[in-house]
Amino acid sequence: MVKNLVEVRNLKKYFPVQKGFVETLLARKIDYIKAVDDISFNIRKGEVFGLAGESGSGKTTTGRLILRLTEPTEGKIFFNNTDISSLSPTEMRGFRKRMQIIFQDPYASLNPRMKIGDSIGHSLLIHKICDEDEKRKKVLNIMENVGLTPTNVLYGKYPHQLSGGQRQRAVIARALILQPDLIVADEPIAMADVSVRATLLKLMIDLKHEFNLTYLFITHDLATTKYICDRIAIMYLGKIFETGNIYDVYSNPKHPYTEALLSAVPIPDPKARRKHLIPGGEIPSPINPPPGCRFHPRCPHTMDICSKEEPELIDLGNNHLVACHLK
Amino acid sequence: MNDTNKIILKIKDLEVLYATRMGLVKAVDKVDLELKRGQTLGLVGESGCGKSTLGFSILRLIPPPGRIIGGEIIFDSADLVKKTEKEMRNIRGKRISMIFQDPMTCLNPLMRIGDHIVETILTHEKKLNKKDAIKIAEDLVVKLGISKLRLDDYPHQFSGGMRQRAMISLALALNSDLIIADEPTTSLDVIVEAQILDLLKELRSSYKLTIILITHNMGVVSELVDRIAIMYAGKIVEIADCFPLFEKPLHPYTVGLLKSIPNISLEKQELEIMPGSPPDLINLPTGCRFHPRCKNVMKKCSLYEPPLKEVKENHLVRCWLY
Repeated sequence: MVKNLVEVRNLKKYFPVQKGFVETLLARKIDYIKAVDDISFNIRKGEVFGLAGESGSGKTTTGRLILRLTEPTEGKIFFNNTDISSLSPTEMRGFRKRMQIIFQDPYASLNPRMKIGDSIGHSLLIHKICDEDEKRKKVLNIMENVGLTPTNVLYGKYPHQLSGGQRQRAVIARALILQPDLIVADEPIAMADVSVRATLLKLMIDLKHEFNLTYLFITHDLATTKYICDRIAIMYLGKIFETGNIYDVYSNPKHPYTEALLSAVPIPDPKARRKHLIPGGEIPSPINPPPGCRFHPRCPHTMDICSKEEPELIDLGNNHLVACHLK
Repeated sequence: MNDTNKIILKIKDLEVLYATRMGLVKAVDKVDLELKRGQTLGLVGESGCGKSTLGFSILRLIPPPGRIIGGEIIFDSADLVKKTEKEMRNIRGKRISMIFQDPMTCLNPLMRIGDHIVETILTHEKKLNKKDAIKIAEDLVVKLGISKLRLDDYPHQFSGGMRQRAMISLALALNSDLIIADEPTTSLDVIVEAQILDLLKELRSSYKLTIILITHNMGVVSELVDRIAIMYAGKIVEIADCFPLFEKPLHPYTVGLLKSIPNISLEKQELEIMPGSPPDLINLPTGCRFHPRCKNVMKKCSLYEPPLKEVKENHLVRCWLY
């Protein structure tokens, strides 16, 4: 039986829209951006779960909600069978060690005034796991693991003295030092140079095996998810449209949106130039999402029912779920 | 004018230098490039390889402290390097236009979309009056998939894809002979990116455009271009037609790059790792600039810089292997 490390149930996050002073006085109704709107999924122990979608689909918010870096509006998050969505900040602390995040921009996520070694080891001191000497030892070890060598030299460098690839390695090392179970990687390679990306991807896979990690891999790049993920969820305007294992979703996409998304990915081979056109339009505003299926105004197969009723996620077997009236 | 095989742009030994506080950076180092009318050329490389600087230098728009210190840019049999600022003004936007990466920062937030286009037209076509210009703008945006009613909108009312369409309409407004597109789809989502690429393909045939497409994305170039120039650390390391280049890349950098990119069309893929990262342009490696990362490195490589050599017909490579 596969064990779930994370279970997300009916998770919602609505952000109130900022209003001007006059509008507040007039007490008009508050609009909400429905960034994440009632999603459920599981992340199994030891897998790489991909969360893919365009900007504004709610994938980053979902990642932050799971770590409780953002408070959910509604819904539950189970981490190792414990409901962490209602824990107090103090209770949450014990769990924070076990879940870490890698942000997209290694330039913005390392303190420029802190030496690399101190940045990586800072959480050891915060969680009172060890003293300064022990910290140095642990940091040098983990730096070796992520390939930040020569470790002794780089330990004392500041972020601006490192290359982009090295900085991202430092961010990965920092996420690993507490030996977490779950790592949320939010576009971890998007900022890296093209020739460095493969190195970082391979490193992440190696580390996963070495440290028994589970990844939530958030990205807009569907070629990368195909390479690294075991399972994937496709998000659109705060909803999950389709989820399943990589092979099923890529070889047999059931949602018209997934199909469009996959065929839009540019392929580095001129022989595979796209022949057919892409559906028009762009992702609408999450303040007033279209009624019924949120994709219906852009969908090439839209039917009457699509604008009236929101489709539920249906299991097509082998845990391949799709939310579309066509099925 | 419409002779398709005519060379429209010829760059010779171009050198662009940035004198920074950290030291001298030669962002473009003795680059030679040719472009035929009607051709789409992809200029590909990683950040800091000099591809954007090369694009900007054609329009003489390199931001200080950068400047062109040598070489020629022959456009329509005149050297752009020697032109005065006033002469360049008549060329920019009229003969050569540019599409930038981020349309939000390139459109004036206080100006209506339509006024951007009308202003561009009136600046260069003194004979036209405002009414004519509005008519041209309306016809143009409709072709690009924007309703003419939206010409009165401000840039913030446009979505990302619509803004990029508006940018493209500015580049097309005066029937430029050459369009330089610097990462035109990089800030867009994948579906919108595909839409814009489709649009560029369509416009290219209907307007017979000559385009230089600057990008780091191998997928985007393979979708659109006829010929590709690969840049690494300020130098062109390989130039070839699109199909032969992807079929059989010759420079170890191009080979490695193509093997390190996840390709969605492949069933099972082993990514190849390219060690190291792109060099610091202030501290360039000796000899071939790629040699510290190269799998096929030989003794010669660290000592002498290889020349750009025609190895096959129309396929040039800068590497000692050939």
